[in-house]
Amino acid sequence: MKYWNKTYECMSREDLKKLQLDRLKSTVERVYSHVPFYREKLQELGVGPEDIISLDDVRRLPFTYKDDLRDNYPYGLLAEPLSQIVRVQASSGTTGKPVCDGYTRNDLAMWSECVARGLVMAGADTTSVIHNSYGYGLFTGGTGVHGGAERIGCSCIPMSSGNTARQIMLMRDFKATHLTCTPSYASYLGEAFRDAGVDTAELPLKAGLFGAEPWSENMRKAIEKSLNIKAYDIYGMCEICGPGVAVECEKQDGLHFWEDFFLFEIINPETGEQLPDGEIGELVITTLTKEGMPLLRYRTHDLTYIIDEPCECGRTHRRIARLQGRTDDMMVIRGVNVFPTQVESALLDIGSVEPQYQLIVTREGKLDDLEIKVELSEDFNLSSIPELEALQKRMRDRIHSVIGIKAKITLVEPKSLPRSEGKAKRVLDLREI
Amino acid sequence: MIRQVSVFIQNRQGKLESVLKALRDADVNIRSLHIAETADYGIVRLILQDTEKGLAALKEAGVMANINHVLAAEVPDKPGGLCRIVEALGKEDINILYAYSFNPQNTSNAIIILKVIDDDAEKAVSVLEAENAIHLLDRQELLKK
Repeated sequence: MKYWNKTYECMSREDLKKLQLDRLKSTVERVYSHVPFYREKLQELGVGPEDIISLDDVRRLPFTYKDDLRDNYPYGLLAEPLSQIVRVQASSGTTGKPVCDGYTRNDLAMWSECVARGLVMAGADTTSVIHNSYGYGLFTGGTGVHGGAERIGCSCIPMSSGNTARQIMLMRDFKATHLTCTPSYASYLGEAFRDAGVDTAELPLKAGLFGAEPWSENMRKAIEKSLNIKAYDIYGMCEICGPGVAVECEKQDGLHFWEDFFLFEIINPETGEQLPDGEIGELVITTLTKEGMPLLRYRTHDLTYIIDEPCECGRTHRRIARLQGRTDDMMVIRGVNVFPTQVESALLDIGSVEPQYQLIVTREGKLDDLEIKVELSEDFNLSSIPELEALQKRMRDRIHSVIGIKAKITLVEPKSLPRSEGKAKRVLDLREI
Repeated sequence: MIRQVSVFIQNRQGKLESVLKALRDADVNIRSLHIAETADYGIVRLILQDTEKGLAALKEAGVMANINHVLAAEVPDKPGGLCRIVEALGKEDINILYAYSFNPQNTSNAIIILKVIDDDAEKAVSVLEAENAIHLLDRQELLKK
């Protein structure tokens, strides 16, 4: 099976654009009539659904920011009543109120279609066994891949993350052909197989789809070598649907984004102006068929560029390059989105420390580690080491509950962390990826 | 009660030196020093001849330092001397957080610096005062030893 849905994946550019325009119009109509937040925004801009005449008119639409999702938490941006919503998921590692998304039955079908196309690009068919090590739960990774695999008719193993010894045992016993997880966990599994004395060349495993955190071409090569597979990049986020928004084909040269479901733009993050194809800027996504939570021009903060050349694979949907970075200070650690401000408020909740801290991300071996250096308050009573250790433990537990990562807490002297003019240097990302 | 200066330092080369230099430059004598360490940091505990001056010099040098209250007990420098203190406190369920020796210049007795939790401090004083062979020292007495 070369394509999951050849009609749509290989549709002519002309037909695809017509389809996009029809769907853009109905999306604007839908939010205008069902989402007060968007109606107000559109009215402020003096734009109505009737003003969308060509795809270029997308530029007249308002941007949607992550804060808009938080401000309208949890259901304020839904365009359908809860009676039509069949699932709610939320983004990983967000403090307090998460960013969440509500899906109708059609939304889930669209999402599983996206993932199915990606799995087929990685060689999956009804005989494949998908070992899904993405976390199951509110995070979209686990259920997202699961939906796509079931849609194809693969045998999906809902493994979730953790317990590596069991993972490698079941991958062998269940004869997994595909692995889905974060790239860092894939590397880790490669090491675990080696340590267990398993020759991965003898496993039926042939490909993997890896995403939810940044990785590099070098890391791809290392994973391909250690697991003896082809490794493909998969992109997505909870706000849009989850993994599968864009996926690599067998050419491994950029990720096809599904233009029948999403309108992609690359903009200058400072001015908001669209950039020509090939220039690096912020990826902005408008959903074209979503019913539950349609979004207009969602600012992803991800930096990439559009590859406009036709792909040899035959698919007509354009590609984005591997992600080039972020426009904000969000870090992705072990697949979890972490903002320094979350760490800051967690530390300050505990007290006894100053709002002076530094986050140091390293990749020791194959897994990301987070160290938080934080300055003790000048007036903290230094009575005993156990008290300092208890303080460290409270912070570690608090951070774990907020961002889901067990960080190493390092207490440092007051005024010892580097200060810089203006914005503090909060993050030291020492990972080589 | 005796005033002890506690200093927080990272467990790194040169850190202790900067603390000691600050005291040297301010001409403050250290009568006793004790270090509790972890892999990453430590607490240096000091009994200074001139606490006020020493604390000011440390703060001036940007060192994180503050004052805690500890007990100083003088016992005969003979086997079992320290044991009496621990026994007396143990009978009353008073836990010792940490203890270290003070180096007297003018007596052949041993002097032990003790820290109990603040809630138990008053009780510890009366328990130790009741013991014949133990002499609790106040600040003036200690610095003359």
